[in-house]
Amino acid sequence: MMRQLLVATALSLGLASVSFAGPIDDKIKERQTCMKAQGASMGVFVPIMKGEKPYDAAAVKAAFDAIEAVCGGWAGFWGADTGKGETLEAWAKPEIWSDAAGFKDAEAKAYAASTALKASTDEASFKAAFPAFGDGCKGCHEKFRRPKE
Amino acid sequence: MFWVITIPRPLDAATLPTHTADVANGEKLFHASGCHSCHLPSKDSGFDRATVAGGTALKTPVGTFYPPNLTPDPETGIGKWTDIQFVNAMQQGISEEGEHLIPAFPYTSYTHMTVKDVLDIKAYLFTLPPIKNATPDHDVLALPIVRRGMGAWKIIGLDDGKTVADAAQSESWNRGKYLVEGPGHCNECHTPRTIFMTSNTSKYLAGGPHPEGVGQVPSLRDLVGRGKYKDVADLTLAFQYGETYGYSKMSSGGMGAVQTNLSKLPEADVKAIAEYLVSLK
Repeated sequence: MMRQLLVATALSLGLASVSFAGPIDDKIKERQTCMKAQGASMGVFVPIMKGEKPYDAAAVKAAFDAIEAVCGGWAGFWGADTGKGETLEAWAKPEIWSDAAGFKDAEAKAYAASTALKASTDEASFKAAFPAFGDGCKGCHEKFRRPKE
Repeated sequence: MFWVITIPRPLDAATLPTHTADVANGEKLFHASGCHSCHLPSKDSGFDRATVAGGTALKTPVGTFYPPNLTPDPETGIGKWTDIQFVNAMQQGISEEGEHLIPAFPYTSYTHMTVKDVLDIKAYLFTLPPIKNATPDHDVLALPIVRRGMGAWKIIGLDDGKTVADAAQSESWNRGKYLVEGPGHCNECHTPRTIFMTSNTSKYLAGGPHPEGVGQVPSLRDLVGRGKYKDVADLTLAFQYGETYGYSKMSSGGMGAVQTNLSKLPEADVKAIAEYLVSLK
């Protein structure tokens, strides 16, 4: 009995020093998945911009579908407690919350640009809408994402 | 002793070469030097933020600086500055009043530029519309003493040698080296610092902790080998377009402003920078 108790205590002490993935990790993972999808969409969009590939409405739509499939929870991605996860590192800067108005503004611009790009119907309108889409990414990353190697 | 070795020793006007101003070259170098990124007016000032009227807070480990007004307003800007005052500020880190400047202003890099290019920047600045904007005093503890101490720091921290050309390399590569070392002042963030806050030259452009204390500044060495960029053309596009072409590494930590500046340079200069950087192993 004593021995079991000791083992149990030792185990729980040992475990207490290890952190577990938790709800904040889930949030971070969710938004990182969304960001990855957006990054992947660049692999479709940029070759069209550079003229390496012809404009392809179906491919553009598929890229947006892929984004929407994982970015639906966007509004809840940036809770004030999500600066750091239980186990996951995040790249969010504290300015997201200390400059909430600035962040909202950057977010709104990115969203509007994304909506406009999605509404493009041919090569000309796609190419006209694309720079603002890229600027939308930059607008947030510049001020609200930590630099990393 | 301290008092003697820390005396500011400005260059004499007689050392200046005869100079015919090239305003277009000055504009190019102005963008390459990133002047606007720090000298823009603050959000609440009401001035056009595309100008260099100064006053946006720059937070550093020693305190908060308010970069001065670079427009040619005679009272609050640099309108009364002589050529030698401008060169001493840019290349020796000595103010128009003869005091040491704190190297938050990267004269430690600008010192590698040619005097002609520096004077061309001045000529360009003097073509800008003057804006009356008195910038706040710097908020740095014991600033006069810190300034004087810079005299001692400069002995180890300021190498005022000009960029040396490498005859074995192409003209474009050498142009890139010059732009990176001098005006571009890439070194100021991308090279880690020693405990004396001087550049750790043995880790030139090898990245390190971000100067603002949050996150990492990436290494610029072996960019292709490490899979960061495909080749010189790829890095050139990244500098020219940044996230507009999906280059997501070109925005954070202050690089967004740098990329905006680089996008205003002629393509040959951007390519030269890329060529030089890609060659660093």
